[in-house]
Amino acid sequence: MSSDYGFQQLVLLNSAGYERAELPLDESVSLIAPNNTGKTSLINALQYLLIIDKRHLDFGAHDKDKARRFYFPSNSSYILLEVTLPESGSVVLGCVGKGFSHDYAYFAYRGPLKIEEYRLDNGKLVTQPQLLEQLAQHGRTANFYSSTEFAEMVYGGARKQGQTSSEFTVFRLENRKDANAYRQVLTRTLRLDKLSSGEVKRHLLQIFSRQLPDSVVDFKQEWDKAFAEVNQDREQYRSARNQQTLIDELERQQEERLAIRGRIIARRPLIDDGLERWQNHYQTESKNLQHQHDKLQEQEADLLERDREQTRRQSELNQQLEALNKDEHRRRELENRLALINERSQLEQQLASTITERNRHIALLDNACGQPAPAIEHQLRRENQELSNLRKEQETLSDNLYLTLKQQISAEQLSILNRGLNRQLLTLPPGDYQLESQQLLQWLQDMPEDWFELPGLNLSVANQAPQYEQRSEKEVAQLIEDCRGRLRQLQEQKAATEQLDTQKKRTEELEQEVKSLEKDLEQFDELAQLQKSCPDRLKAMEAAKQELAEIEHAQKQAGALQQAFREQIQEVANQRQALDAEHQEIDGIRQNRGDTDDQFNWLADLPHTPWVGDPVLPLDQLAKTLRDYQRDCYQLKELDRELHHQRITLHSGGLTKFQYAPSPEEEIRLMVEFRHHLVREAEALEKKARSAVVTVTASLRDLRGNLQSFENAMHEFNRLISRRKLSDLKVFRIQPVHENHLVEAIDLLIQTAEKVESGESFELFNQSSVLDDRQLDYARQLLIDEGSARHGLKVADLFRLTFELAKENQDVESFDDIDSAASNGTVLMAKLVTGLAMLHLMQDKRRSVQALCYLDEALALDAANQRSLIKTASEFGFALMFASPSPLITAHYCVPIQQMSNGKNHISRKHWQILQPLETVEA
Amino acid sequence: MSNTSQFQQIASNLPNLAHLFRWFNRGRHLNRISEPVLWEELERNLDDYVAIFTALGFDLRLDGRGFAWFHQDDGSSNTNKATRQLALLFMVIFDTQADAGIPLMKFEHWRIDQTLLTTVFEQHQDLLEAEELDLSGLVSLMRTAENFGFARYDGGAWQLLPAVCRYLDHYEELASQVDQDEDVSWAGDQDDEDNSL
Repeated sequence: MSSDYGFQQLVLLNSAGYERAELPLDESVSLIAPNNTGKTSLINALQYLLIIDKRHLDFGAHDKDKARRFYFPSNSSYILLEVTLPESGSVVLGCVGKGFSHDYAYFAYRGPLKIEEYRLDNGKLVTQPQLLEQLAQHGRTANFYSSTEFAEMVYGGARKQGQTSSEFTVFRLENRKDANAYRQVLTRTLRLDKLSSGEVKRHLLQIFSRQLPDSVVDFKQEWDKAFAEVNQDREQYRSARNQQTLIDELERQQEERLAIRGRIIARRPLIDDGLERWQNHYQTESKNLQHQHDKLQEQEADLLERDREQTRRQSELNQQLEALNKDEHRRRELENRLALINERSQLEQQLASTITERNRHIALLDNACGQPAPAIEHQLRRENQELSNLRKEQETLSDNLYLTLKQQISAEQLSILNRGLNRQLLTLPPGDYQLESQQLLQWLQDMPEDWFELPGLNLSVANQAPQYEQRSEKEVAQLIEDCRGRLRQLQEQKAATEQLDTQKKRTEELEQEVKSLEKDLEQFDELAQLQKSCPDRLKAMEAAKQELAEIEHAQKQAGALQQAFREQIQEVANQRQALDAEHQEIDGIRQNRGDTDDQFNWLADLPHTPWVGDPVLPLDQLAKTLRDYQRDCYQLKELDRELHHQRITLHSGGLTKFQYAPSPEEEIRLMVEFRHHLVREAEALEKKARSAVVTVTASLRDLRGNLQSFENAMHEFNRLISRRKLSDLKVFRIQPVHENHLVEAIDLLIQTAEKVESGESFELFNQSSVLDDRQLDYARQLLIDEGSARHGLKVADLFRLTFELAKENQDVESFDDIDSAASNGTVLMAKLVTGLAMLHLMQDKRRSVQALCYLDEALALDAANQRSLIKTASEFGFALMFASPSPLITAHYCVPIQQMSNGKNHISRKHWQILQPLETVEA
Repeated sequence: MSNTSQFQQIASNLPNLAHLFRWFNRGRHLNRISEPVLWEELERNLDDYVAIFTALGFDLRLDGRGFAWFHQDDGSSNTNKATRQLALLFMVIFDTQADAGIPLMKFEHWRIDQTLLTTVFEQHQDLLEAEELDLSGLVSLMRTAENFGFARYDGGAWQLLPAVCRYLDHYEELASQVDQDEDVSWAGDQDDEDNSL
């Protein structure tokens, strides 16, 4: 079954060792030539026209430069393909050498292809520079094209300006994207023996790729994207959970702060007002108290003064009373004492006698006091001596020695003797005497004048008074009387002296008595006086006592009063002190107010808990309130600091979720809220995680779906290739086999997601959280690893292709590699069928343009298989060309390659042999 | 000459060539699951790798189930010993798991931890002791398996890798041989019977 449209013939001129080659392509061909004669070269020439892209040209062992030289040895080397197209009829696609560089150029024009048109008049082939002109001469409008333009033309790519669409489009593909794959498969159809399993897979994927939209999944990215938020949230949740106590503390402090703020806000104006009023109040009050104090002190001083006066008066009265009492007492005493005396004269008489007595005694004492008693005694003894002497003298006055001597001895002698007998004589100093005892008697005789010469002793009596003077009787009697008088006096004196102490005592007694009497006298007068003043005194006493009693009473009262005053003063002082202290305190706080920071100015704008205290501030409460207020201020600042630190601690603990809140206050509020809702957060997190799983699996679902689509497509494909029996194969199919670990991982995730969606197993509060599923994590990691190794997961990564073959009566066997699956012929067929099927799939089914398919070593196939293949190829829109050393009778044409004498090959239309069933020919 | 330069060119496009060569040359298996990056590289440039390794005299095999290795027909005696011991290891593990009714083909999901190894050891004590293996020997054998790319250690337990399929295939082959032998013997018996008839 040949198509009306399609490849008609291939012509090589001066190329690939062919001088000229004309090859029919509209039906199956058996190209006959010995090995190494250029069969493959002939077919490969088509690559330049059909593959075009230099990168994809494949000449097997030969490199591309070599091939270029081989195919385009000169600028008159041509590869020409005539194709009949539904839109434009016969067209010629050509490639001409550019000469020395062995480069080549593309051209095309509306056919038919006539080789003669390339021949110049001189019989030579037209060269590339003249080609267009030459063709024009034959009415062909040919154009040169760049390889890109040419490729786009052939594969129906972007239309050039002014070009009719698809004028030269040979291969209309269902999808433009397939062009590349198509070309590659096409290359392979020219050398199908080289089609490998990997290529089959690649091409199949490419072919089906349009059914697998957006088929690359970067799983890691998907996962990260889906879970980024979840993971973040989870971190936040965890850090909040770990720091619950800290957040509770934060909350407590924040509440406290709000309350304090509220209090401060409410109190601040009260306090400002209170402070203003305070100064006035303080001054007034202070003055008032001072005044009170002064007044009280004054009163107290008065009281004190009065008291002192009274005390003084009291002591006065007491003295007075005492004096009166004494007088009275005295009166009574005197009355007792002088009870016996009635008159004053009695006492006066007694006094006068006593004074006389006393005076006598005083005189006596005055004499006695002239000499002391022993002296008087002595004088008395001398006087007595004198008296006895005088009495002797008186007795002997008439007849005494002296008188005798006077008569006997001269007066001189007597004088001398008298002097010599002086009692003082013996007290003479040694110069005054000479003692010579024998001469003492002599002395008496020989005694010189004024010498008292005693035998042995001569005494000078010149200076001696005469011891004895002769007195008259009268004189002596007188002397005795005098002496007696003196003796008596002395006797009396002596007695007086002897009684002196007694006398003195007596005198004193007398004196005493005088005094006593004088005193008595005085007392008597006094008594009289006292008795006289007694009634007055008693009256005075009575008055004094009364007054005293009054004073005492008054004093008692004054004490109480004074106590009261003192207390009052103390109280006022206390009040003042308290007021001062209060003022001092208030002043101190006022000077050093805690609310001077900026923040206190806009405190009302900050969040706070309104204060519901008393909106009035009595002044007496000011200090306390101020104190509280001040404490609140400091505490607020302290709380600010602490909350700041707490926040930082929480941040460093990982709770950063609310870091970008408009204000720290808001952040704290959110943190606290977050902490309160942790349970709900956990639920939300779980939900999010689940929805993340669902999200992330959406792409996996796509992938999985694509795999399924691919499998379905492969099913279709297998049906396509199984339509005809291949060799002796009962079964031949290309089966996608899952890369289990990946597909299972994907399935697991998808299942999980389904469960999550249906809420089947991941109930709330279920322990097996999506986030902690080990298997899930393993699957995830696997997909991530594979994805990152392959720069995203594709459907192709999820399966490998195996070739399943089975001969009659045998089990199906799988092969990774098609080459090892069966015998050469079978493998060839399999490859051919596969390749053709792929090409068929890519082509636009509505526009069948028959192309060419080449099979080398065709003798490996038996005739039945050959026929089968020809049919199959035809069904897929291909004419099959078998190459073999000997002709194959299954083909429509048999075309032998002839070798010319010049060593060049030659195929001429004339040598074509057409094989037809006899019936047809006969008919 | 041209071959050498060609190889050099190819090699320059294979950044992991040296790494992969060392990997395989140590007798280690490359598993797609555990080494996705290397695997991808190998898969992408498989033809080049095969060409180079073949030129170096190594036979790189790639199993569609996701593992590759240098195939050796006759390993050194050391490898043989290790191979034998590993065969024993996997056998006892698979045996234990089969007894527990766990599907064998899912072996990649097993967690081979101390508990499982203890169970394995207890159940095959005689066999293992005959091979002079105690529990710690079993553990060190798991490490050997890890070194050869049959297992990987992850999260406190070993996980068997697809390369273990080589052993599984071998067991299956042996089992089918036994079956066949049995069949043959049975057939032979029949033949005998036929003959006797």
